[in-house]
Amino acid sequence: MSDSAPVLSARDLRRDYPMGESPVHALRGVSLEVAAGDYVAIVGPSGCGKSTLLNLLGAIDRPTGGTVAIRGEPVERLSDRERTRFRLLHIGFVFQRFYLMPALTAGENVELPLAEAGMSRAERKARARELLTYVGLGARVTHRPTQLSGGEQQRVAIARALANRPALLLCDEPTGELDAHTGAEMIALFERLNADGTTLVVVTHDEDLAAAAKRVVHMRDGGVVSDTRVR
Amino acid sequence: MLPAGASAAAGAAAPRTIAIDERLAADAHLRVGDRLVVRAGVDGPGDTVIVGAIVRRSADPSEVARDEYRVLMHLDELQTLTGYGDRVDRFAVATRDSAATDRAAGLINDDAFGFQAHRSRDIAVETSQTFLVVSRFHRAIGVITVVASAVFLLCIMLLKVDERRRDVAALRLMGISSATVLKSIVLEATLVAGVGSLLGVALGAVISAVVNVHYRGVYRTPLAFSIVTPGVVAFAVALSLVLGMAAGFLAARRLTRVNPLVLFGR
Repeated sequence: MSDSAPVLSARDLRRDYPMGESPVHALRGVSLEVAAGDYVAIVGPSGCGKSTLLNLLGAIDRPTGGTVAIRGEPVERLSDRERTRFRLLHIGFVFQRFYLMPALTAGENVELPLAEAGMSRAERKARARELLTYVGLGARVTHRPTQLSGGEQQRVAIARALANRPALLLCDEPTGELDAHTGAEMIALFERLNADGTTLVVVTHDEDLAAAAKRVVHMRDGGVVSDTRVR
Repeated sequence: MLPAGASAAAGAAAPRTIAIDERLAADAHLRVGDRLVVRAGVDGPGDTVIVGAIVRRSADPSEVARDEYRVLMHLDELQTLTGYGDRVDRFAVATRDSAATDRAAGLINDDAFGFQAHRSRDIAVETSQTFLVVSRFHRAIGVITVVASAVFLLCIMLLKVDERRRDVAALRLMGISSATVLKSIVLEATLVAGVGSLLGVALGAVISAVVNVHYRGVYRTPLAFSIVTPGVVAFAVALSLVLGMAAGFLAARRLTRVNPLVLFGR
């Protein structure tokens, strides 16, 4: 499922980090547009600016220059508090290390962003169960992270990222901590998510994960060197 | 005071009774009904008496270190035995109520030349001044220990929260507000402090009981050497909660003020 409305629009993004007299130019004018329902993999060598770009696309960091708009909303103009709220409601994050709260069950971890968004307890519980069932962990709702495997923890993290029905799911090396078999399961889950309408942007070194995307963006030295639609 | 032989009281008038304290009863293996000969000195004349009662020693701190026995006798018999005649150094008068005590003390002090009447409560306060000072000294040591331990725990809590900087960063990147993160850390710290203080109070109560059992055995006294009072419990719990909340707040504020990307180490 894909339509032409851009969920994400980045124009001439630049990000410099001050390092004494000669700043580091981590991004040198990157432009990117992601349509709803698209599945984009951003690949490239370490230090090429992939994670910096993801931070800017996810309204985590502010660009030195350029603009980022998500669903038409220019996020660089938002205050810190507004950006936090914006991330909660419109962007889902999946990290390499799952960052689940160890004291909470899988269900409670998924409920966290729902609670922050103000959803009622009963609705939260139902939504968390629905999402965990979707990622194949319907029977693990009451398990704590320590009782789950790495792959299962990443599934919980994905369910958590989807909690508030975000416009965009940003993933930073989501298979980096997983073995090959579990990584393959995760890739299949991403494909299913995308097929069900989730817009995905994935930063990865994993060739298999990149190969599963509809579009692959290659980066080098802070710039995009190729942007290829593969399916 | 010697155990009397079966013939010692034969043919005499019925022996009087005395009361002895439980320490003497234990050391001399005496029981109620036993006959004894009591003398004022080693060579003095003796009277045969019957142990009529074994009484508990009072919980008087001034008696703790005294290795002596207490024997209660009828006054006339004690006078005869000691040869003091109609003389006493001090005696106690029981009264109906507090008002009667005041009236009796007033009458004695006004009319009985050479006598000074005091309320037993005043005497108790006067004689326990030393112990009050010792008690305050112990309390000061206790407070210093608790505060120093609490500050140490506060530092540990700060470090523990700092260890979770990546979790906090992930929460904030997900869109959880700084206020929510701060509230949850303070709440957690308060719960930890509350549970910790209750466990500490329970541990303190157990140690206090052990101390009392030990020293009551050593000194053979019903005196309470260690008391966990409601005031002490309230102080410990309140201090723990305040420090726990302060530690949680400081640690959380430090984390929430830092850019999540910095917390992530990016």
